[in-house]
Amino acid sequence: MNISMKRVKAIFMKDYKEFSRNMSISIVILMTPLLSLFYGKVGENTIDSYYFIFNMTFVMVATYVQSCLIAEEREKNTLRALILSPANVQEILLGKSLFTFSTTFFTMMVCIILIDYRPANISIITVAMLLSTLFYIALGTFIGLFAKSVMEASVYSFPAIGIFTVGTFIRLFSEQYPMLKIAHYLPNIQLIDIALKVEAGKGFVNVLPELGVILLWSIVAMIVTVIVYKKRMVD
Amino acid sequence: MGNVIEIENLAKAFGNEHALTNVNFHVKKGEIFGFLGPSGAGKTTTIKILTGQMSYTRGSVQVFGEDVMQLKKSKNRKRFGVLTDNSGLYDKLSVEDNLLFYCELYDVPTKKVDEVLDVVQLREEKKKRVAKLSKGMRQRVTLARTLLHEPALLFLDEPTSALDPVNTQFIYKGLRELNERGTTIFLTTHNMEEADSLCDRIAFLHDGEIQLLDTPDALKKQFAKDEMDIELKNGNRITLSKGKKDAQILYNYMKKEEIVTIHSNEPTIGDIFVYVTGRELV
Repeated sequence: MNISMKRVKAIFMKDYKEFSRNMSISIVILMTPLLSLFYGKVGENTIDSYYFIFNMTFVMVATYVQSCLIAEEREKNTLRALILSPANVQEILLGKSLFTFSTTFFTMMVCIILIDYRPANISIITVAMLLSTLFYIALGTFIGLFAKSVMEASVYSFPAIGIFTVGTFIRLFSEQYPMLKIAHYLPNIQLIDIALKVEAGKGFVNVLPELGVILLWSIVAMIVTVIVYKKRMVD
Repeated sequence: MGNVIEIENLAKAFGNEHALTNVNFHVKKGEIFGFLGPSGAGKTTTIKILTGQMSYTRGSVQVFGEDVMQLKKSKNRKRFGVLTDNSGLYDKLSVEDNLLFYCELYDVPTKKVDEVLDVVQLREEKKKRVAKLSKGMRQRVTLARTLLHEPALLFLDEPTSALDPVNTQFIYKGLRELNERGTTIFLTTHNMEEADSLCDRIAFLHDGEIQLLDTPDALKKQFAKDEMDIELKNGNRITLSKGKKDAQILYNYMKKEEIVTIHSNEPTIGDIFVYVTGRELV
């Protein structure tokens, strides 16, 4: 597997330039920092409220922005030109994901500072968030490849936004409705479980099952994305 | 002179629908090869197969002496280019940024940007956003992008469709320059004049097969009628055979200096297209 970092960087820089000139998409990254500012001022936040913001950041930035960037390439027929260039599948996906990864990282840091979240174990939370970022970017790439336009990508992102933000509260009803227990395996809920365990003083070994579930989601999402990408390469 | 493309018994089916049934041809190195056919004949399908974007049902497709699927390798991608009527440029970026991006992808020195913009005469527009350019100018930018890495083989799918004559001439100029530097060009077009003026050889695709393949001149001779139209000074027009039969009549008119013009009535590539396909050009 040959990866040219020069081409990865070129795709990253191109996405950055395009993104900075695209107000309709770039404004999305301001949403969660503004919400964090509000939550931060209110004070007395719980893990649930912190992670409502963090999960929303993942899905709005990593998933939604990524899906729009990819869908725009499809809509404008530039993805075809990119596919026909010397850039291979790894370089294209890495280049496009690197930009969203950086944007997600930056937005998340701003949110964490504004909401004043101080985890008991920063290493575990960092690992959990990095794994989550991979999943949400892969999900965004999948949606972007599936959609034919930015409009379609926005519509397809709505269920994801619902499931991974408001859907987090499903677990509160799982005692009443046992069927909903399956929702515990969602990556957003696993992330909250990790945060709760960390606050309870648990270490890496104790959160390995949750990290494993998030990793599994990420791997499955990445495999599906690569399959869809390869299908899009050949008519 | 070797062959850049070799296609044997190529077939492509979409379910029960057969787009290509038995296509055979080769494209020689350095030539401009015209690939003509009515809408839906399978021209774009053939280009997609030749660029590794589409699989095929049966046959053999070789590009640069290797199976077409080898084109997916990064090093081989540098050897060909594709120019379609759907440009695929980044609207929000400037002309220069679009080209610089492709310089990085193709590993081409950035000084080439000004060079190719000079060829398509768009150097003064390089700071403009692509979104602000006309369709013709955008197509010229796409051509400039294709010229950047000087591909050994260039596929053109309706490159001048819906362009005004000025922009069309810019495209022709760029293509001729590229061809003079050794690029083999595979051109599909609906514009028969374009095919006639640019192409070294022309193939007509119809009913999933190549119906005719030759140089434009040879095709015209093949379909030429054995008659000529003569306009006389008295305003009359007469038609004479090109053979011996009417030689004396022609001689007599010439002797009396009564002839204004003689038209050999050779068919155009468009006439041959209609004859072969039975369909008017759309």
